[in-house]
Amino acid sequence: MKYDFAVIGAGPAGYIAAKKAASAGKKVLLVEKSKLGGVCLNEGCVPSKTLLQAAKTYHHAKHGSIFGVNAEGVTFDYPKAHEHKNNVMNKMRDGIAGLMKKYKVDVIEGEAKLLPNSQVEINGETHEATDILLCTGSSPAIPPIPGVDLDHVVDSTGILERESLPNHLVVVGGGVIGCEFACMHASVGVPVTVLEAMPEICPNLDAEVSAGLREGLTKKGVTIKLGAKVESISEDKVTYSDESGSNELEADLVLVATGRRPNTKNLGLEELGLDIDNRGGVRVDARGATNIPGLWAAGDVTGQAWLAHAASRMAEVVVNNITGRKDHMRYDSMPAVVYTSPEVAVVGLTKEEAEERGIKVKVGRIPMAINARYIAENPDETGFCKVVLEADTRKLLGVHMVGGACSEMIFGATAMLETELREEEIEEIVFPHPTTSEIIKDVFMAVR
Amino acid sequence: MPKSQIVEPTKERQAGSIPFAEVPLNQYQNDLAKEKETYGDDALIGIYEDMLLIREFESMLQSIKTQGSYEGIEYDHKGPAHLSIGQEASAVGQAFLLDVDDHILGSHRSHGEILAKGMSAIRKLDDDSLLTIMKEFLDGDCFRVVEKEGGSDDVKGLARDFLLYGALAEIFGRENGFNRGLGGSMHAFFPPFGILPNNAIVGGSADIATGAALFKKVNRKNGLVISNIGDASMGCGPTWEAMNFASMRQFHELWDESMRGGLPIIFNFMNNFYGMGGQTAGETMAFDYLARVGAGVNPDSMHAERVDGYNPLAVADAIRRKRDLIEKGEGPILLETITYRYSGHSPSDASSYRIKEEIEAWQSFDPINAYAKELTDAGLLNDDAINSRKTDIVSAMTKAFRLASDLEVSPRLPSEKIAGLMFSSRKRETYDPNREPELLLSHDENPRVQALAKKSRAGIIDGKPVSKNKVFQYRDAIFEAALHRFETDPTMVAYGEENRDWGGAFACYRGLTESLPYHRLFNSPISEAAIVGTACGYALEGGRALVELMYCDFMGRAGDEIFNQLAKWQSMSACILEMPVTLRVSVGSKYGAQHSQDWCALVNHIPGLKVVFPSTPYDAKGMLNTALAGSDPVIFFESQRLYDIGELFEKEVPAEYYEVPFGPPAQRRVGKDVTIITVGATMYRALEAADILEQKYGITCDVFDCRSISPLDYDPLVTSVRKTGKVLLSSDACERGSVLHDIASKISQLAFDDLDAPPVVVGSRNWITPCAEVESDFFPQPAWMIDAIHDRIMPLAGHQLSTNPTTGELLKRQREGV
Repeated sequence: MKYDFAVIGAGPAGYIAAKKAASAGKKVLLVEKSKLGGVCLNEGCVPSKTLLQAAKTYHHAKHGSIFGVNAEGVTFDYPKAHEHKNNVMNKMRDGIAGLMKKYKVDVIEGEAKLLPNSQVEINGETHEATDILLCTGSSPAIPPIPGVDLDHVVDSTGILERESLPNHLVVVGGGVIGCEFACMHASVGVPVTVLEAMPEICPNLDAEVSAGLREGLTKKGVTIKLGAKVESISEDKVTYSDESGSNELEADLVLVATGRRPNTKNLGLEELGLDIDNRGGVRVDARGATNIPGLWAAGDVTGQAWLAHAASRMAEVVVNNITGRKDHMRYDSMPAVVYTSPEVAVVGLTKEEAEERGIKVKVGRIPMAINARYIAENPDETGFCKVVLEADTRKLLGVHMVGGACSEMIFGATAMLETELREEEIEEIVFPHPTTSEIIKDVFMAVR
Repeated sequence: MPKSQIVEPTKERQAGSIPFAEVPLNQYQNDLAKEKETYGDDALIGIYEDMLLIREFESMLQSIKTQGSYEGIEYDHKGPAHLSIGQEASAVGQAFLLDVDDHILGSHRSHGEILAKGMSAIRKLDDDSLLTIMKEFLDGDCFRVVEKEGGSDDVKGLARDFLLYGALAEIFGRENGFNRGLGGSMHAFFPPFGILPNNAIVGGSADIATGAALFKKVNRKNGLVISNIGDASMGCGPTWEAMNFASMRQFHELWDESMRGGLPIIFNFMNNFYGMGGQTAGETMAFDYLARVGAGVNPDSMHAERVDGYNPLAVADAIRRKRDLIEKGEGPILLETITYRYSGHSPSDASSYRIKEEIEAWQSFDPINAYAKELTDAGLLNDDAINSRKTDIVSAMTKAFRLASDLEVSPRLPSEKIAGLMFSSRKRETYDPNREPELLLSHDENPRVQALAKKSRAGIIDGKPVSKNKVFQYRDAIFEAALHRFETDPTMVAYGEENRDWGGAFACYRGLTESLPYHRLFNSPISEAAIVGTACGYALEGGRALVELMYCDFMGRAGDEIFNQLAKWQSMSACILEMPVTLRVSVGSKYGAQHSQDWCALVNHIPGLKVVFPSTPYDAKGMLNTALAGSDPVIFFESQRLYDIGELFEKEVPAEYYEVPFGPPAQRRVGKDVTIITVGATMYRALEAADILEQKYGITCDVFDCRSISPLDYDPLVTSVRKTGKVLLSSDACERGSVLHDIASKISQLAFDDLDAPPVVVGSRNWITPCAEVESDFFPQPAWMIDAIHDRIMPLAGHQLSTNPTTGELLKRQREGV
């Protein structure tokens, strides 16, 4: 079959691209080897957030006394939480399938192999497309630790499939995924230890934000070991070394969350001469174009951003370019969130990143505790908001927050960055009162 | 390929052995009484004075370099000083009997040779001649300083001051120096005294001197040529090539009777036993005695011998005997003049590779002291005479140093003036207007001239291309331009690998053999370095050379000669010298990786070369005419894809003489949408692309043929780009580092505001050239150009890519280095 546009992978890049291209009148093919929705819907964002919400609800129920709410006999029914998670996923998958049907996107279940001359082979059949979008996502990257193959050692996909809680959870890797699972388990009373090899968890975030997150998680009961290198895993123990020497931890469940790698194998990419970087990501330009004419890539397969919303945006950029609208990725206004309690939400440059680019900056920081709505709703939590401005123009460069449900307001900061607002223009924006979002306006008072 | 000499298998297969002539070692017998009788007392004392002069000159430089002063005058000399303290006798003994017509070429360590030959010439020239030379040289700039200073009673004294000042000012990089300060310590020279360029490339003078000797032979000039090179240069390929070239059997077997005999050259190896820090005999070379090598070159063993360079009279004796041999046509000569430098290679060399005792041992035989003792013993000198000479020399040296180091008296050449000295840019119909060219046939008698008279000089008649066997071809254009200059300039010679009889591998010279005697057109050995190097020497002596390397790829074998010699000597001489050398190279195809490369970029990068690549018969003739009427070195690119084409752009190729100036590109097509700029044969494929663009997409193109790469007149290109806003450049050179990127970059700077897209370069892949059957995967094709326009410059409605011109692929290939 001859298509205008073939999309390989139906994750947050793929189905968005398919829908957008189809709505622009393109004849579109969407290929998915597993389930519609990709990692985000099936093994990542959606199920983990569902479980996190379950844990959060349990935690609120157990710890409502400060509000005068006392509940007895609160229990956590993990299978029930699972059922809710699965229901959410099914509903979302059905939604995508309906959307594809509505926009007349041909959806084929199968493994795609790219062939020369804009051809794709699926289930033994060859299809042709003027443009092809490669958005095959990523998979957990598992380090070669002795014992990593044992049954109780799982990755982020595996842990979501388990229907019971462990007695002792050890999380290898204090990145975003590790922190979220640690928080969820700690919230429901499971003793959790996070082993992070670097000197700080989530080391890509602003250093104060990482530290704030670490303090928040510790308060939730998560034990965090920094500079801890895992040496081996046995049936019931994890051995790691840090400054103090070699140590052992009890664990009946070990989550390995040490990052992800792009899915580029068995797709015929090497034969095609596709340019792949030394970390396995497909190289693309700011439009999403690869080095092969007519072949585009978006999402985790590019090894950039590792975020579902980034993948969707990349897909939009690609579709815009193939439908005649000039567009390009702007990673400097790409928000990122850690869905822990407290949450972390950031967008833009940190002070250090800006200075590395030779930009002179001013920084402001205020505690969340100055915000009435925040202390009313989060009496136990600390947190702060930090803003980075260009010194001479007072242009907003970055907003970094820890605390409460800050993920819900980061879009506001994103809009400011995307439109390149300066301090004086932000001052003119009216924020509803009382809302936690006011912190973004108030933080400018502290800029120096 | 002389048909007169049969390679006889019975003879060649005969058993036997080769006898070698003995190579004498230090055979000179001291007999001062006899030398006195031969040369007279004054001449023998003059040898002493000259050695003393050199010693003081070099000691002065050593003092300046190591202590920052001489005789109380402070000076910081930043440049090099490769001193020859200890080597004085070898230079003075050699120069002693040389005439002004005898020319020497040296090395980086040639201060002593300059002074020795200079003093020798001063002694031999009469006062009037000396004054004329001094007054005329560089418009008298150097002489005026010396004359104004005064202090010398006679012309010869003034001439010695002139020599010291001119050399020192040159070493210090001053405008009054012998070469306007553009040569400096390692390259200084002074042609009026028979001192030709000294060379900072080890062995560099071997093939240049051979060319100078070729000039003397071909043009029946007086004098011999000496190549003063070091012992380490025996390890350099071009030195061997030069010795072989100078010894070619054709000089004895095939050239006119009046021309018989090897070239009048002495390859004199100043053997100071070290090449930088490497001991030659004993460490870095195969020989025990350097002179032994002569036995490997020709049946006369090059009359090789070792002479004691610590005895000036032994050296003079050798030069006298060798001159006799050369005059009998028994050159070339190999002379090993042993000597020893007391100081290091340069002031920064602490001589860590030799022991103190070795230096002291040689110092115990110091050539100046030993010779002074000999003269003193014979009553020619005494302590007073010695002291007065030393005082006189120090005084003269101090004066020269004071004048040369003073920025008021001896200013530096304003740097901007160097630009005006990169090319001599003179029109030279002939380098010897007083002689008739030696020819074997009149123009009209030449068989190819007669054959060409029947060809169509137009490539298209009534809109149809003329068939190849009826049309005047590109190769015919080369022939006509060459023949014209042979018939105009008696000094013009042409040589290369198969230029005679065969007529060149691409038949450009077919028919020249009939018109020219051997000494004007001959087959050279397959020695690319020697081909180009000798051409440099031939030109520096005052003749025009048209040499050919067959494939462009073979330039690699002549790298130094093209990059460091051909390109540099005009400017390093402040254009005292001219370099009328045209080097023809052909860009191949079908012959794989080592016979298919377009290296325009390599030579374009080197300042001092003119680079042209005509792609039509009209331009080939007109541009070769321009090259052969000029005074500058020209790298003349041709393409094997083009030799059989007829003229498709001009009405015809005129039979008369005409020139196509270097600089302006030729516009082959006029359009409005895209500018296409090509170099070489790619132009024809660009025109195919332009046809497709017009027919399929309605896009019209300006197509420019960059027939002149350097110099290049950008005005027409920029005017076009201002109109179209789009430019694609293409040639058969590999894309990376292609000359097209240079052109593209300059267009970007000159027309940035007018560009709608970045200039795009479509070159050959950055690979080796594959076999002939798949060459179209390597060399740019029309489809590549159209794809590049579609993907990188302007989308073409409905166009389907058949190649990968994406910027992503460009990045990937560059990252991978392919």
